[in-house]
Amino acid sequence: MSALGYSIEQAAVSLWRGRGASALAVVTITLAMFVLGGVLLLALNVERLAAAWRSSAELSIYLTDDVSAAQRTTILEMLAASPVVAGHEEVSKAQARQRFAHLFPDLAGLVPEGGNPLPASIEVRLKPGAAPDAVIRALADRLRSTAGVSDVRYDRRWIHRLLTLAGLVDGIGLLLASMLSVAGALSVAIVVRLALFARRDEVDIMRLVGAPLSYLRGPFVVEGLLHGGLGAILGLLILLAGQAAARAAYGPALEMALGVSPLWFLPVKLCALLVAGGMAVGGLGGIVAAWSGR
Amino acid sequence: MIETHRLSKVYRRGVYALRDVSLQIDKGEFVFLTGPSGAGKSTFLRLLLCEERPSDGTLVVGGRNLAELGARDVQAYRRTLGFVFQDFKLIPRLTVLENVAFVLRVLGMSSVQQRRRTFQVLKWVGLQHRMNAYPQDLSGGEQQRIAIARALVNDPALVLADEPTGNLDPDLSLEIMNLFREINARGTTVLVATHDRELIRQVGRRAVTLDQGHVAELA
Repeated sequence: MSALGYSIEQAAVSLWRGRGASALAVVTITLAMFVLGGVLLLALNVERLAAAWRSSAELSIYLTDDVSAAQRTTILEMLAASPVVAGHEEVSKAQARQRFAHLFPDLAGLVPEGGNPLPASIEVRLKPGAAPDAVIRALADRLRSTAGVSDVRYDRRWIHRLLTLAGLVDGIGLLLASMLSVAGALSVAIVVRLALFARRDEVDIMRLVGAPLSYLRGPFVVEGLLHGGLGAILGLLILLAGQAAARAAYGPALEMALGVSPLWFLPVKLCALLVAGGMAVGGLGGIVAAWSGR
Repeated sequence: MIETHRLSKVYRRGVYALRDVSLQIDKGEFVFLTGPSGAGKSTFLRLLLCEERPSDGTLVVGGRNLAELGARDVQAYRRTLGFVFQDFKLIPRLTVLENVAFVLRVLGMSSVQQRRRTFQVLKWVGLQHRMNAYPQDLSGGEQQRIAIARALVNDPALVLADEPTGNLDPDLSLEIMNLFREINARGTTVLVATHDRELIRQVGRRAVTLDQGHVAELA
């Protein structure tokens, strides 16, 4: 049997024998990978949400109720001449009312039957990455001062704020995940070291009969890898269960409120990377224990 | 087979375990290493097993200067030796067969070859019928015979033994020594450390006497 086969066999036996202490190390890595996976999940969903919003209307031009046909034409000509505009959609007062009723059916009664306080608007899609923020702001300011326009909303500011907030959460999450990863590696190192001490006589005998270093250290490194792998898989499974529960409970409401479903799970490649990361953290603990053990 | 020149081992605070030991053991020889407790016998064997490094002088075994071996080379060198310990050093959770076969396993031998060779060597020490027993179920003499089987299973050119009869009664001690004589008769170099002068007299082979780290007598 090869050193790898021997290491896997011995690591599995050791993991089972010290399952109490092993569970503790696995839980630490589970926690680390859960936090890291959670941060990545949040980042992924925010990024996709932002991308979806970017491709939808980013400039909303609200028109006055008394806007004339000539003023409307002037506004449309300004949009057509702008190199940053990808397209536009005109929304009449009646359409605005219909949308409001669809999005907020419970609040439909707020709009009186006889009158319609909702303004007509033009929703403008911007070319992705077409221009710096300042250029779009200048266009918004020009439009705002054009006759027939009551207000201009530049949605990208909200996207920027959302991304900034998500970046902050990502940073804190990554810091927490890094700290938990270090704690995970340390706890694996301690547990593997305990396993090494429990088998110290056996390892000494193996050393004296000339067992290659791969046989002496391999089982402990593999034990660390197994701890890490198990922890990462458990962390991902808990995250998946949480995501499925959140999707079932809040998915439809969020989709209605945000216009897109924001509850995607991590892609398979990223999941595989997280498992590999967990194994690396555990393996590092195993290496530290095996090398410091002798 | 073994050649030392002014070999010394100094521990902390300048305590000499061995001092200027120069001796030669030829291939195929059977030599006893004797002397009182603290004479340096175990230190000499630990140096031969590369458990420790010489402080001074040279130690050459089978053409290898042991002071120059790296970690991997040490393990490879140990696989060419057979070593028998006073306390047997058998792995309690493994059966007799597994304890002996383990050496072959780490040499990369196939399972079939491992079983065949292990059975041969267990038969030679007369314990093939106990191959599925665990070490703790065996007597001291049986455990030492298993340890000898393990030392021989890889067919080493040199067998080292540190007080192999230290835990055995005189009859069993002689029985174990007879096994070493048989090993030597097949051409294997044997070096046995013991303080049992009577046993040395009974076996009647060359003895190197150490005293306070010096070679006191090269009989």
